[in-house]
This record gives sequence, structure tokens and C-alpha cells, in this order.
Amino acid sequence: MSEPGSDEYRELFEHAPCGYLTIGPDGRITKVNATLAKWTGFAPDQFIGQRLHQFLNMAGRIYYETHIAPLLWMQGSFNEFALDFETAAGERLPTIANAAERRDTDGGVQFTALVFIKAADRRLYERQLVDSRSELRVSLANERQTAELREQFIAVLGHDLRNPLAAISAGARILQRSGNLQNEKELRVLDMINSTVTRMSDLIDNILDFARGRLGGGITLHRAIRPLEPVLEQVVDELRTASPQRVIQTRFEIADPVNCDHTRIGQLASNLIGNALTHGARDMPVRVGAKTNGNEFEFWVANAGEPIPDSAMEKLFEPFFRGDVRASRQGLGLGLHIASQIAQAHGGRIDVTSSPEETRFAFSMPLAQADERIGKP
Amino acid sequence: MNALKRNNVRVIGDGKRAMVLAHGFGCDQNMWRFVAPEFENEFQVVLFDHVGAGGSDLSAYDKTKYSTLHGYADDLVEIGAALGLKDAVFVGHSVSAMIGVLASIKAPDLFGRLVLVGPSARYIDDGDYKGGFSEKQIAELLEFLEDNHMGWSAAMAPSIMGNPDRPELGEELTNSFCRTDPEIAKAFARVTFTSDNRSDLSKVTVPTLILQCSQDIIASEEVGKFVRDRIPGSEIVFLEATGHCPNLSAPTEVVTAIRAYV
Repeated sequence: MSEPGSDEYRELFEHAPCGYLTIGPDGRITKVNATLAKWTGFAPDQFIGQRLHQFLNMAGRIYYETHIAPLLWMQGSFNEFALDFETAAGERLPTIANAAERRDTDGGVQFTALVFIKAADRRLYERQLVDSRSELRVSLANERQTAELREQFIAVLGHDLRNPLAAISAGARILQRSGNLQNEKELRVLDMINSTVTRMSDLIDNILDFARGRLGGGITLHRAIRPLEPVLEQVVDELRTASPQRVIQTRFEIADPVNCDHTRIGQLASNLIGNALTHGARDMPVRVGAKTNGNEFEFWVANAGEPIPDSAMEKLFEPFFRGDVRASRQGLGLGLHIASQIAQAHGGRIDVTSSPEETRFAFSMPLAQADERIGKP
Repeated sequence: MNALKRNNVRVIGDGKRAMVLAHGFGCDQNMWRFVAPEFENEFQVVLFDHVGAGGSDLSAYDKTKYSTLHGYADDLVEIGAALGLKDAVFVGHSVSAMIGVLASIKAPDLFGRLVLVGPSARYIDDGDYKGGFSEKQIAELLEFLEDNHMGWSAAMAPSIMGNPDRPELGEELTNSFCRTDPEIAKAFARVTFTSDNRSDLSKVTVPTLILQCSQDIIASEEVGKFVRDRIPGSEIVFLEATGHCPNLSAPTEVVTAIRAYV
């Protein structure tokens, strides 16, 4: 190896594939290598005695004064910063720079050495990354806003749909109580009104829950310990009224207290039984059961009829999934989705088995209370 | 909102009188590391970070509030109120000089002396007024800041955006001082370099000292003299220190000048 100061070292300093520059303690340039002189188009002696910022564009000057100089004073070095030279021809020369101070034993600055790497392509590439990131941000913000508006709309729609329905329902009740409707055809119409109101009301409940879930609230439970059987009986009664031509058999054996949200479990039951009435064989009964076994509460709904195809199995609980049914019975495809959300919120689950003999949805939840709120992580 | 926590306020020393040191654009309270210890014995030295810088609470950043220097001045007044400051000495560097001017107009009892280090009432030229920069140059600066925060945003953002569980993330970074959130830094740059406080200067009622560096490209001598001429009864001291950060490059000179005035 040659000695420092030899021609070989000088050669390395002058013609290295990067720019070198040193600044004295008074902030004036003391040395510059041939590479940097060549890149910038200035002669080396045009640098000596000048200040670095004179060779930078304005943005670089401000950045150097407000960021780089303070950091050099505080930590003695600064790596990987972008700096733009302005060449003799007035062009921009983008670089990436490192800087380090050399101090004497008393802590005084002897000189500051800077190294510059030409970085036109790299800086361009980084600029493109920044641009595409800001584009993404804008479109993400737009998407979020659209989604929020859509969900608010659904929520408002759900509310507004309830009012006319309440009026229809009240009207039907008045007619029923008046006893004026006698002939069979009129009574069938009344049944139909009741049935439609129930179905519509369930649909609206589901829409609201779905919108609310998506709005970030998740399904909130109001747990209590009181008899669950009357709730289930009432749900079944309503569905019997709504579908008088169908048979719903029940078997409830709830021995232990169930700590749950009774309204929600009623909604889950209604959704599962409604699903069985829609998809099950019309001439066969829908069987409903509930029991506790010490550790778990179980509720199941079984119907006969065509089994659920394998292809549909996976998607059963996804929102807006609708099986093949008559158009007149088609809902929004939210019933099972919301039932599964209610199950999850109770720390439970819904299992499905389907064969030519029987299709069964079985909900089970632990009796020991788990989390209050699920649906949102 | 707790102003002391929001602005990462640190109080050192146990003097009777308070001295508030305010950092400028591009750094945080570390800027005063060579100056603050010099006043510890005589003063209660108050250090803080503007929201978006250093150890401030980034979640407190409010685009609208901080779209003018008044938002920062309000914070300063709140810090003063939280500490019960009266008749304190205010030392503001760079843009914080004007933030201090605004705060002293809002709360005249807060400060008894203002020391403005490298102040500028307006950075962009306007007719006969020479602020030192054209509008185009400031626009270039804002774009350029993104180039320089490019490398930082990925590596630094998580650690400064609140990752107290993993402080080691921050330790590995070479540039450990004067961290700022890139987005906020850009907004602060815009507020700083597009500010115009020329009409506020005459409202200052507190004795004011201007410390003017030589060859400061951010705040030129002309700009410093303008501030002196407009603030009633103010004085200017010309430092030998060059550049924009005498508190780092020539702390002794700065300390001597402040001490002589207060």
C-alpha cells in the first residue's frame, strides 16, 4: 500500500466515483475533489473559500441551514440526506449525501467532510413512490367517505321503513280485534298482511344491524339472566301466525339459567327458523329445540328438503348471500350473517349439517360468560 | 388537553424567574442543549416541543389550528398558564420568535422580556420588502422536504407516531435529534415560510432584544433590522456567529448577549 499523501491516494480522492468536499470551522469550503467539480461544472478553485449553500438550490439551502447544520452540531454526523446542487449551467444535480465532523481533542470542529452520490434515478424513483402513496391516500379517503355515506344511508333507510310498517301492523291489529272480518278469504288476507309485516320487520332489523355493524359499533349485548323460554315461544308464535300453513314443532328443555341478550337470541332464533321456513320442504314440519347441558346452551332448527349444496356451504354466513329460492321469498341475505354475528358476540357458534334427510343449524354458546362485545377486534 | 404533556414541557433549574426557550422550524428543544444549562442557576428554564416536533403529542396535531402561527402561539400561552408564568423571559429561535411575539400580544403579562434569535416577520419578498425568498422558492422547498423525509417516513414514522413499546426502534436511527412527523413538518414549513407578521410587530409592548447573525440566509440582516424598526423600543445585537443557528454554533456568544439584556 502507498502512504497517505501519495499519488495513489490523491488519485482516489480526486477521481473517486463520488463527490468530496470539506468545510472548515468558519463554514467555508477548504477542499473539493475533481469529481464534484466536474459534475457541477465549476472549477475547484471556484469552490474554495465559498459557502456550501452558494452551490445548492434554494430548497437545499434552507434545508441545510434548518436541518443539516443543527444536526451536525448536535450529533457530529448526518447520513442519507437529499441535497440538490445547482450546476454552473443552471441545472439541478440531485444527490444523496452523508456528512461527518472531525473534531480535535478539545471538541472543537476541525472540519466537516461531506460525500455526495449522484442520485438522479434514485431520487426520481423515490419521488414516484411519494406521489403514488399520496394518490393512494386520496383514493382511500374517498373510498372511506363513500362507504360511510352508503352505510349512513342504509341506516336512515332502515329507520324510515319502520314507520309505515308500524302503521300497517296497527291497522291489521284493529281489523283483527274488530271481529268484522268473517269470511275465509278476508282472514287469509289478514294472515298475509301479518306474515308480510313480520318478514319485513325482520328484514329491516337485519339491515339496521348490518349497517350498524359496518359503521363500527359491532353488535352490543345487553346480557341478563331471566327465563329464555318465553322469548323463544313468542318468536315461534309470531312465525306460526305469519306462516299459518306451516308446522313448527318445538321442544324446549332449558334447565340452567342462560346469561345472554334475550332480544338478540330471539332475533337469532327468528332468523334461523325463518331461514328453515324459506328453504325447507313446505309439506314437512320445521323442528326447533333448545336445551342446556350444564356447560352450554344449545338451540337448533331442523328442516327437511333439498340439502344445501357444498358450493353454498362456505358462503352461508356471508352478508348478501342468497340461496336459490322463489323470488317472492327472497330476502336480503342478511339473516344468517346476523345470526352468526349474534352467536359470535355471545362467544358461541353456529354449526350446519345438511343431508337429504335433514338440514340442521345448531347454535351453541358457553353458559360461563365470555366477552361482552365481539364483532369488532 | 394537558398543555405540559402535549408540548413535552421540561423545566430545569430553580431560579425565581422563568426563561422559556422556544425552538424553530427543523428541530426540537434539543436545539437549546448548549444554552439551557447556562441559565439553570439563575432561572427556571422552560423547554418544550411544538406539536409535531420531538416528544410532543402527535395526536394533538390539528390541521386547522396549526394552519397559522396563532395555533402555536396559543399553545405557548397555555404552557405559560399551566406553569403560572408571569414576567418570564422568552427566547425564541427562528419562527418561534414570531410565535413569541404573537403570544406576548395575546397575553401581555406572560413575558417581561423577548429575545428573538434570527427573527423574520415575513420570508417571502413583497414589493419593497425583501424577505429573502420568492414564492416559487418556497414552493420548491415544500416539495424538496418530501424528498428528504422520504427515507425517514418508513423507518421513523412508526417510532415517533407512538410506539412506546419498542423504544429500540428509535435508537437504531442515526438521526436521533430533531425528529418530526414528515407530514406535520411539511405543514409547519408552509406555515413558517408563508407567514406574514409585519403588522403585529408594532403591537409588542414588552422590551425586546433581537439577536442577528451574520450571513444568515434564512433571516438576513435587512429582515432583522426591519423587526427592530417595527417593535417599539427594541434593540438589536449583531452576532459574529454565522448561519441561522447561533444557539448551536456559538452558544457562548448567545448566552452572553441574553444575559446582558435580561
